[in-house]
Amino acid sequence: MTLIENLFENLRLELRRGCLTLAVLAELHQEYYGYTLRKALADRGLEIDESTLYPLLRRLEAQGLLTSEWREEEKRNKRFYRLSGDGEQIFRQLLAEWQAINASVNTTVHNIQ
Amino acid sequence: MELLDRYLQAVKKHLPWQRQDDIIAELKANLEAQLEDKEAALGRPLTKAEAEEWLKQFGHPIQAAARYQPQRSLIGPALFPFYWYVLGIALFWATVIYAIVTVVLVATQTPGGVDALGFVLRLPGLWMTAAAWVTLIFAIIEYAAARCPGKFPMLAPPSTNWSPADLPPLQPEFAGGKKPRSFAGAVTEVIFGFLFLMWWLLIPKYPYLLIGPGVFYIDDWGHVAAPFHWAPVWHAVYWWVLALHVVRLGWQCLDLKFGRWQRPRTVQQIAMSALGLIPLGILLAAPGQMYFTLRHPEEDAARFGAALQSINLAIHWCAVVICVISVVTVVVGLGRMGLEAYRKRVAGMPPA
Repeated sequence: MTLIENLFENLRLELRRGCLTLAVLAELHQEYYGYTLRKALADRGLEIDESTLYPLLRRLEAQGLLTSEWREEEKRNKRFYRLSGDGEQIFRQLLAEWQAINASVNTTVHNIQ
Repeated sequence: MELLDRYLQAVKKHLPWQRQDDIIAELKANLEAQLEDKEAALGRPLTKAEAEEWLKQFGHPIQAAARYQPQRSLIGPALFPFYWYVLGIALFWATVIYAIVTVVLVATQTPGGVDALGFVLRLPGLWMTAAAWVTLIFAIIEYAAARCPGKFPMLAPPSTNWSPADLPPLQPEFAGGKKPRSFAGAVTEVIFGFLFLMWWLLIPKYPYLLIGPGVFYIDDWGHVAAPFHWAPVWHAVYWWVLALHVVRLGWQCLDLKFGRWQRPRTVQQIAMSALGLIPLGILLAAPGQMYFTLRHPEEDAARFGAALQSINLAIHWCAVVICVISVVTVVVGLGRMGLEAYRKRVAGMPPA
């Protein structure tokens, strides 16, 4: 990997980090367990590594933004996640922030193009 | 799948013990579901090579486990700039204090003191000790601030409780980083330069101008015979100091005549400090470090021998200290010049 490619990769990861959290919170208005959440995000065009997604779910739960429960499905115990009350509140605030940033960036980029 | 179980076992070893089973059970369920999908898509079980390739995507077991840990750092990004600043100050002052202590120990010939080589060899240990203490203190501050936010306001990084009104007043920027000399200052320097020249020229005839009442011990006064005598080394030192001063004075006069007194004199000052090392070197290289000798060694050795030794030793150590200061001045001056040139080159600015 060249220096430029490495720099791009770092900036790309930095750009995606916050967006992924927002996408996960949005998706968890519906109940999912880790693997099916990953598939749902991938179906929407948002590929996310398992090694990133599963620890992220744990962190969001520890922060009180998600609730979880163990349940048996297809003869296997799985941990299902869903947005909590606090999570919903934070999600709304983050969404408003995201939309404002997105609109500003779009305007800026549009002016350059 | 045995390979998956081995992988999960390896990850488990590096997870926090309270949550090991919970995390591994969840990870296993997710990975097994993914494996089933993969095998269903292929219509066959994964080969060993494919399974290895698949598991490699999750990263080394230590890395995979670390992602389940809270983000940990000894000193966080908010505190780090202050840590770095304090570390620099601590290392600088540790070196200065250690250097002073070493010079004093050597000068007083205290048992257990170190020589120059010992000083240099012990520096890395000193720096590591200073750095370790500073790091430990900041790590404790970081830990306390992270565990109990708001409970220790005095430990909060200065970034949270500072006021722009407390900043030092604005200082004017000058070319070369120094305030330009005024005309009056430049003229005063030349006048004092001439006064020094006159004083220096008169010393051979009137040595009391240099050593005051000490002259009674060097020159015969009436019927009193002086016990000491100037060593020959002073002759060379005298002419070198005279020559260097004349060069400096001439330089200053030319600056004044051609209106260049406002320009920074960094190169001139470094050059004069470097040339000033020559008479100091001559002084330090004096045979036997003898700067004064007894006129009549056979008669006066018992009475004045100890005093003479003390005087010679004191002059020698004065010369050593001045020499060290001069070398430091030259090195710092050259370093500053180099840094300034580098800074300007990096910034793409024209040289001053």
